Amino acid sequence: MSRVAQDSVGDLGMRVPAQSSALRPRPHDELREWGGSSLVRRKRVLDLGCGDGRLALGVAAFATRVEGLDPDPEVIANAKRNARKAGVRNVRFAAGAAQRLPYPDAAFDLVILSWTL
Amino acid sequence: MVDALVEIHRVLAPGGTLVDARPDSRVPAYAERRKPRGFQRFGVVKTSRLELANDRASDRAITRVVRDGLFKRRRNGRFWHRVPFSDLAELRKYLSEHLRFVHRAEWVVDAATRKRHSNDQFVIRRAVRYGLLEALRSPRNISPARPD
Repeated sequence: MSRVAQDSVGDLGMRVPAQSSALRPRPHDELREWGGSSLVRRKRVLDLGCGDGRLALGVAAFATRVEGLDPDPEVIANAKRNARKAGVRNVRFAAGAAQRLPYPDAAFDLVILSWTL
Repeated sequence: MVDALVEIHRVLAPGGTLVDARPDSRVPAYAERRKPRGFQRFGVVKTSRLELANDRASDRAITRVVRDGLFKRRRNGRFWHRVPFSDLAELRKYLSEHLRFVHRAEWVVDAATRKRHSNDQFVIRRAVRYGLLEALRSPRNISPARPD
């Protein structure tokens, strides 16, 4: 365990809430550790517990489409706002529970539980 | 948790991949002072008892769906992530608000050293673990539900 993901937020500290996803590794850093962009390239991706869309939006450039699901409607509203701001069009966000996924069988090639389980 | 993993197996195409990434509570996090070159360890930050129990429950859930033949482990790994703070007060406030960590670091330097460097930049260095699991075509059998 020698590698260190680069600082994700520069000099941010307590100016963002302690639980903020901004204090987590950058999506590209995480993706690199998991094996690189080939893991998501041209894949249908589900980001479960997507929060404000940090990871879903981060991998969207590689994926065919990304769905983000989170039980908290408030963070989903933030995620949608972030997607609009970033101009990302292949990502959709919805509120829902992981125990009853609103998707058909075999709908995804990759499911991500990042800091969720 | 097992219910959610069974649902994930349903929506994954056979051969698809599940990534499970989360902070590694088996390894302590460290409060470190940023130096011109490198870092100096100032303290150890442990995970709260509740989060340790949650992590063990997650591990058991993963073990169970692997045992039941829904998934096959493909690869595991771990890396370090640094959360930066502009001074020691910010780090302390972060800890006091954070649900995952205990609210106080166990300092390995004396109070005078902490005071002398209190305006320096700090980081919390924490381990993140991940596992890649492959969705198998059909489960061998699903064992009866047990509380996670």
